[in-house]
Amino acid sequence: MNFALGSIVLALIWAAITASFTLLNLILGWAIAFMALWLIRKNLASPVLFSKARKIVALGALFFYELALSAIRVAFLVLMPNMKAQLKPGFIAFPLTAKSDGEITLLANLITLTPGTLSVDVSKDKKVLYVHALSVTDKEALIKSIADGFESKIIEVFK
Amino acid sequence: MSSVEFLNLAGTISFGILSLAFFLTIIRIIIGPSLPDRVIALDLLVYIGISYIAVVVIYTGYFLYLDIAIALGLVGFLATVAFARFILHRGKADEPVKKSDKETNS
Amino acid sequence: MIVTIFQYFAGFLMLLGSAFCLLAAVGILRLPDIYTRMHAASKAGTMGTGLLLTAIAFVAFDGAIILRAIAAFVFLLLTAPVAAHLLARAAFLTGHKPTEMTIINELDIKKLDK
Repeated sequence: MNFALGSIVLALIWAAITASFTLLNLILGWAIAFMALWLIRKNLASPVLFSKARKIVALGALFFYELALSAIRVAFLVLMPNMKAQLKPGFIAFPLTAKSDGEITLLANLITLTPGTLSVDVSKDKKVLYVHALSVTDKEALIKSIADGFESKIIEVFK
Repeated sequence: MSSVEFLNLAGTISFGILSLAFFLTIIRIIIGPSLPDRVIALDLLVYIGISYIAVVVIYTGYFLYLDIAIALGLVGFLATVAFARFILHRGKADEPVKKSDKETNS
Repeated sequence: MIVTIFQYFAGFLMLLGSAFCLLAAVGILRLPDIYTRMHAASKAGTMGTGLLLTAIAFVAFDGAIILRAIAAFVFLLLTAPVAAHLLARAAFLTGHKPTEMTIINELDIKKLDK
């Protein structure tokens, strides 16, 4: 089920990249997708994707909103004449609730593109994610906003 | 002003703004005190290059250039990854690479 | 009619996108250290380039090209944070000090996996 869906999605991406939607090209793309998925067949996740579609869309919407917000905030910060006074950079240890590698990767990528934060590294035991923030006025509030926002949504999607 | 005229004007202005951005980034590449600074600036330079190509696509109407933008994005990402590996293996920030460092890092 | 509206909108997106690119460049020039500069490059840069690619999708009127512009945008969104994260990690592990304005530093080099 996951296999079929994945190969169809990959075939559509193939058609988009090669810019022709002829039947022959779609079949070629599907064949290549099938072979690519067959190579990684042991690592495919459990086949519940459709029921999660709404949550995935919600996560995507939240992500785009936060990306726009963060770009605007950085832009305003850069334009301020007294930028140095506004800047309170710092490294923060963010305790991870997410367990699997996939969740941590997604969380780190999303954190990097959201307001004022940039993930730097994960500790050896995968319990702590180190985050660099542009202005640390309230550390606890920042940690709480990440945990309640992205992390809880990601865990819901993966569960 | 018709929409095509506006599009052309916006393209011209965008070229100007992007050229200025290009220039500012190159200043950082020249003065950047450390290697990572320069690599970040190079990364941004690739993004500005992609933006240039995007404006060219709209300005001239040759949508074929979009492929070049995608390829440039790929190459730029790989270059940044390679630079990050290079920084990791090159040794410490301030002091020159010592023999013991070399052995532990490699 | 819809073509006219889309062209006006694409022009607006173009101006906005190049403005974000310029702000990213200004940020790279003005911010004090590597880690803060990375914020400007990864966020404002991605946003600017993404807006310009979106502008292409608005003027193309061809399904294949629109999809390819969107694919380029998604590819950019996937790679930009990875590049920024790798660079920040490499810079920290090789001992590049953050600026003196840094008010809190919980990052311990001993706990990291080299």
